Amino acid sequence: MSPEAIGGWMLVALLATIFAGFPIAFTLIILGIVFGYMGFGDTVFHLMVFQFFATMKEQTLAQVPLFVFMGLLLERAGLMERLFYVTQMILARVHGSLYLSAMFVATLFGAASGIVGASVTLLGIMAAKAMDKSRYDVRMSAGIITAGGTLGILIPPSVMLVVMGPVVGIPVTDLYAGALMPGLMLAGLYATYALVRCYLKPSLGPALHEDQHAESKTLLFVEFLKGMVPITVLLMASLGTILTGVATPTEGAALGAVGAFILTVVYRKMTRALLNHAVVKTLEVSCMILFLVAASNFFGGVFSRLGTPEVVSQALLSLELPKMMILAIIMIVIFLLAWPLEWVPIVLIFVPIVLPMVRQLGFDITWFAILVAINLQTAWLSPPVALSAYFLKGVAPQWQLSDIYKGMMQFMVLQIIGLALVMAFPQIALWLPGVLYTK
Amino acid sequence: MELQSGKLVRVIRAIDAISDWSGRIFAWLIIPLIIVMTWEICVRYLAHPTQWAYDLSYMLYGALFMLGAAYTLYRGAHIRTDFLYQKWPVKVQAMVDATCYLLLFFPGIVIFLWIGSEFAWNSYVRSERSVGSSWMPVIYPLKAVLPIATAMLLLQGIAEFLKCIHALRTGSWLGEHKSMEEIISEDLVSEVPPPKGPGS
Repeated sequence: MSPEAIGGWMLVALLATIFAGFPIAFTLIILGIVFGYMGFGDTVFHLMVFQFFATMKEQTLAQVPLFVFMGLLLERAGLMERLFYVTQMILARVHGSLYLSAMFVATLFGAASGIVGASVTLLGIMAAKAMDKSRYDVRMSAGIITAGGTLGILIPPSVMLVVMGPVVGIPVTDLYAGALMPGLMLAGLYATYALVRCYLKPSLGPALHEDQHAESKTLLFVEFLKGMVPITVLLMASLGTILTGVATPTEGAALGAVGAFILTVVYRKMTRALLNHAVVKTLEVSCMILFLVAASNFFGGVFSRLGTPEVVSQALLSLELPKMMILAIIMIVIFLLAWPLEWVPIVLIFVPIVLPMVRQLGFDITWFAILVAINLQTAWLSPPVALSAYFLKGVAPQWQLSDIYKGMMQFMVLQIIGLALVMAFPQIALWLPGVLYTK
Repeated sequence: MELQSGKLVRVIRAIDAISDWSGRIFAWLIIPLIIVMTWEICVRYLAHPTQWAYDLSYMLYGALFMLGAAYTLYRGAHIRTDFLYQKWPVKVQAMVDATCYLLLFFPGIVIFLWIGSEFAWNSYVRSERSVGSSWMPVIYPLKAVLPIATAMLLLQGIAEFLKCIHALRTGSWLGEHKSMEEIISEDLVSEVPPPKGPGS
């Protein structure tokens, strides 16, 4: 059997075992050993320790635990609740004001934290009651909360982009800069959609009740500043220092972690129990991502050494389909894969398979990576597998799951429109990296 | 039979406790990681960069996630594709898991432990140094993380395999499996009931 064919069988074996529900990392290790040994003998053992050790020395990945730690502390600092409360007061007279303030807080939180899961829960706790009280439309409310909550995976800093960087061979700073505009564009798209619908049909988001209006404008302004200043400083310290090159991404992540720690102390939320919780949870979340990264690097190392990705890409290229059509097909496959799989294995296993082909077609890799990121965020909004629906249902049990689904789906359509826009106008993603880092 | 079952549970609980404690200890590596990186950026702008911050940062991060592997396995948190799995009855789940541990987990991790030990031992014997920076630290402690982490992983794997046997006998799980996002948000909402998984 030729090495390329061995690689093909390796992929088939992976697909067969992945659905048995066994932890993917361990499956990757044994498949790498077995098929690597068949392909090139003893060398596979050295490749294994080498790839694991190389992952341990990949210093930019240290951002993963740092951003997770930062996010876990910020969730508890009470910062978001404050901001949500103030913006909702400011916008009280606007139709759909709660949608706007939820979106605003979600975007800021996305930029301040690198993880996604908790945002939906947090927004749900904060906003769902207020939305019910003001008789907001359940579907739109659920859609805004799930869509806003999952924006964090796209808006930098994002753990997904940190993991994607080494896979596609692009500095994570470029990916951060590339993801910023598409992320903000999507936030804008969500907010505009909600506002337009409220304008056409005011009953979807009535103005707030009198007792939710502010008493004094000055007081409100002071409160707003009190909420905005700390988060702005935090954003400057982490994302700001990274994008401007003042700090390396890992240093910026550490500054963010320090900032989140200080904020938690200042807001008097820091306890021994919280610190313990954040530290141990950071280990768990980082390890579940990074151990799989290491195992995938080994698997991918064997796979590309067998030469299979090249053969696959040659075969697909020989079909001579139009460039954009191939890209569209890749995007559809990722969208479908994101149904049963989490983003980690897709980024680590599927993306490297198609990467040689994307390179040969001459696509900009930064742009491609951003498209993948937007695409994977869509999976958070596609029922019935999207976990965000269950998180929201968990904290807003009065809402029907079917209503949550219908709300999410509206925003999934917006998301696909956003993806198509970035595909049609690469400048949305490439403008900022171009300005910041002229090559 | 009863007695045997009690023994089984005792062994499982003992190994679980070891992994639990290992996680609670190694997790604190995040704190020096934060301090080292923050220190580096402060002194770089105030004086001159340190020679050791870069090396220390990848050592701390690399040790952190590898040494946490056993704890993560104990917590049932390694990423898995469970949309089919969670619909199966417990005994089928246990049967599939037990098979996977025997065919996939143990062979791979045992080989890993073997090769990793050699890798670290060779580095120690040659007192190999890292050449990535001017500090040039000895690298064997970091390489030793590989066999230590895989040994702990192997131990927890035995406990997980025993849990499968227990589940096959009794029809119920001792531990539970969670997805990444469930784990991130599970403790966030103490005042409301936990989110229900798709299968439940």
